[in-house]
Amino acid sequence: MRRDFLIVGGGVVGMAVAYGLARAGLSVTVLDESDDALRASRGNAGLVWVQGKGLGMPRYAELSLEAAKAWTDFAKELTERTGIDLEYEQQGGVDLCFDAGEARTRQKEYTTLQNASPFLTQEFRWEYLDRKALMPYLPGLGETVQGGTWSPHDGQCNPLYLLRALYAACHSLGVETHPASPVERLEATSSGFRATTPQGHFDAERVILAAGLGARKLAPMLGLSDAVHPVRGQILVTERRPPGARLPTPQIRQTATGGYLIGDTHEDSGLDKGVTLAMMQSLAEKAVRIYPDLDAARLVRSWGALRVMTPDGNPLYEASTSHPGAYNINCHSGITLAAFHAGGLSDAIRDDRLVQTYPQFSGARFHVQAT
Amino acid sequence: MFKRLDASSTSVRHVQIWLDGEPHSVPDTLTVAAAVLQLRGWQGYRRHVDGSPRAPLCMMGACQECLITIDGRANRQGCLEPVVEGMRIERQGGGSHEA
Amino acid sequence: MKPDALAAEIVIIGAGPAGMAAAVRLASAGRRPVVFDMNATPGGQIYRQLSAPQVSDTVMGKDYMRGRELIEAFTHADIDYRPGSRVWWADNNTSGTTLGVLEKGQTQHWQARQLILAGGAMERGWPFRGWQLPGVMNAGAAQILLKQGALIPSSPPVLAGSGPLLYLLAWQYLRAGTPPSLILDVAPAKRYGEVIRQSRRAWFGRSYLLKGARMIAALRRAGVPIHQGITALEAYGDEAVESIRYHHRGQWKTHSTELLLTHFGVTPEPQLARSLGLEHVWHASQQSFVPQRDDSLAAGTNVWIAGDGGGIGGAINAEREGQLAALAVLGKIGEVDPAWQQEMPALLKARRRDLEARSLLESLFRLPEDWLDGQPEDTLVCRCESVSRGELDLAIAQGGAGPNQLKAFTRCGMGPCQGRQCGESVTRLLAQRLDWTPEAVGYYHIRPPVHSITLGELATKE
Repeated sequence: MRRDFLIVGGGVVGMAVAYGLARAGLSVTVLDESDDALRASRGNAGLVWVQGKGLGMPRYAELSLEAAKAWTDFAKELTERTGIDLEYEQQGGVDLCFDAGEARTRQKEYTTLQNASPFLTQEFRWEYLDRKALMPYLPGLGETVQGGTWSPHDGQCNPLYLLRALYAACHSLGVETHPASPVERLEATSSGFRATTPQGHFDAERVILAAGLGARKLAPMLGLSDAVHPVRGQILVTERRPPGARLPTPQIRQTATGGYLIGDTHEDSGLDKGVTLAMMQSLAEKAVRIYPDLDAARLVRSWGALRVMTPDGNPLYEASTSHPGAYNINCHSGITLAAFHAGGLSDAIRDDRLVQTYPQFSGARFHVQAT
Repeated sequence: MFKRLDASSTSVRHVQIWLDGEPHSVPDTLTVAAAVLQLRGWQGYRRHVDGSPRAPLCMMGACQECLITIDGRANRQGCLEPVVEGMRIERQGGGSHEA
Repeated sequence: MKPDALAAEIVIIGAGPAGMAAAVRLASAGRRPVVFDMNATPGGQIYRQLSAPQVSDTVMGKDYMRGRELIEAFTHADIDYRPGSRVWWADNNTSGTTLGVLEKGQTQHWQARQLILAGGAMERGWPFRGWQLPGVMNAGAAQILLKQGALIPSSPPVLAGSGPLLYLLAWQYLRAGTPPSLILDVAPAKRYGEVIRQSRRAWFGRSYLLKGARMIAALRRAGVPIHQGITALEAYGDEAVESIRYHHRGQWKTHSTELLLTHFGVTPEPQLARSLGLEHVWHASQQSFVPQRDDSLAAGTNVWIAGDGGGIGGAINAEREGQLAALAVLGKIGEVDPAWQQEMPALLKARRRDLEARSLLESLFRLPEDWLDGQPEDTLVCRCESVSRGELDLAIAQGGAGPNQLKAFTRCGMGPCQGRQCGESVTRLLAQRLDWTPEAVGYYHIRPPVHSITLGELATKE
């Protein structure tokens, strides 16, 4: 049976778009790699986060803000469909500053961003709080933390349950998912597109690449941008602890099940998603610096994961000019943007008006740089 | 409960430990988990994060079911820590946020 | 300030028969290996507490006492032995292996040029309804109590499962004067006859068969009921086990007991080998993953695996493998002595025969691969995160098409035991549901810490 869409990539980006399209009544097949694939979707910290997004591109800040606002309904809808609680909370978040210089720079950046568009001036709310003012939000905060920026838009979810809920919701809407089916070749056919995998061919009228770092190999086959690179992050998780009533931060957050998730490292490590002793030690030091009571907390897990980064760090929403009907979705922050990917973005793809509606995010900005 | 085999004629040094506030003399070859199994048995050993009762399963460091508070530090693996003179051991009977 | 890595030419992890034998052999060649071991005394699990035995030979039997000589040699050799230390992190690099070691509450970094993993085995996690209740323990754990402090159950226990340890422990309890009230064996009675008819293997394995037959006869003489071929087992109770239920000859039967000791075979302790990223293959006969090793027991660059950690072969084989690994390391670092080379063929030959005999036990005590299928939906697979078989099946149906995806969807394997108890059950369940081989399904990604460590212990202090 012919399908409307092939989606290459069963991570949180591909599944959010699949969900949006299937909800609109379209038939979708998702092709996914094996269980051992790189999978940023399973390695991220689960922040639904606005602060710091789009510092050099106000439109991205707007998009993040819109996505964060849409998250409440999005989470509710997924839970209603699947019975899976996403552990979503939007009670604000704090991005910590460790010294006075960092605090000054942060405030300057946010002020500039806020003045960058009428929408942001009106909607983007934030405040710098010193350590004392942060105490009610982050009880037990360590003495050597300078302060931090607080914003009511920030929140957190369980990214793994988001992925699971997207799978469950997609299946209930008739989406076919094929695990262990890495795409080896993509090509245009007389009536659409064909993907070749070790499990056979898959055909559809249109194709969406949501392959993360896999785009480096696959995107050029359809005239799409392969300009993504990995940035490694390492994460530590502690055993379950009593609820600390502490707002999430990009440096550390307590999950709904009680464990603390620690990590905001950025490293260029190629495709190595391992963990390093030096980085784990520095994360442990930082965690104890932020919350000294964690000194006795046992570490139960750690991992490294590869962020998917475009050259400017902003999302890529691209429609192929050489192969009409082929699209490339590639971004960091797939959790925050999930509500948008399942909504505005999949609508724009469905109506084939991606470039018209979101021109700032097209691949043209990288082609220009290249020439 | 577990009891020391009567026929065991081996002489063994004893140490004094405190279990839930009470002093006991136990052979120094025991680990904390073994001492608790001898003194109190498996019932009441620990309560899991989901509220269910749990007790040591493997006694060799693999299962993490023997978690116990030793000298004020929670969630130590009782099967890996030998008893030491004066050690204070508390069973984690009520906590809902033990690992 | 971060501490500099301590350098070691040869590191051995584990002081059981394999680790001790490797260390002794290296010491006799003038090397001084560093040996890390979690326990306070040498011997591993099999020879635990044998340096100061708590129980007489008449109770323990000859196999336990046989380790004395090796412990003696280990204790007197010039070895940098570090009891009570835990290797919680390992990473392979071009110049060897970096290790994170926790010793006396301090984290040390070690750089080992050559590494011998001798971490041994662990009892297989084998889910059945109620296995998380206090009063259900591994038979091996109960035997550890016996070795450690001459501890025996104060009332007769039930022993259930499959494997030689079941009968050994029952026999030891009989000798100690507290025979079990009941023995439930998963292996059907007719299998014993089938296995014995395989004459070649039966010949190599005759000592195992004889030992087993003698123990079973002694237990029967003492009036211990032995039911072979049970097909299901369940434990019931509120705060602890009160009774068990089992399925035998088409009927459910109930038995009151406060202690159920189970044994479902042993598997290699996987965490360090997995976290080093070493290749693993599914060993169909041993019904578990084993690390891939070549004839010299090398499993990676500058990494050897000796003993049950590389595949179950028992204590004598572990001792041989320890010697083999030591010789391989000596060869690697350029110490080629013709006298040692002469040792190799005899060791290899003995090893082959021993493993062939072992396969007899594997056939005899083979577990049903579809056991989990027959379990009630609410049977816990992951004890740490309380994830049931039914929850796993739901998540598989929703797209959890691999151990790591399933872990993400359900938290199965995310708890402090790091999947040691549930890992292979999950592989098995997926293999059945997806109709893939266990190798195609794979296993959890194992990352540090492979042993418990606190943030404070990990953070380097100024």
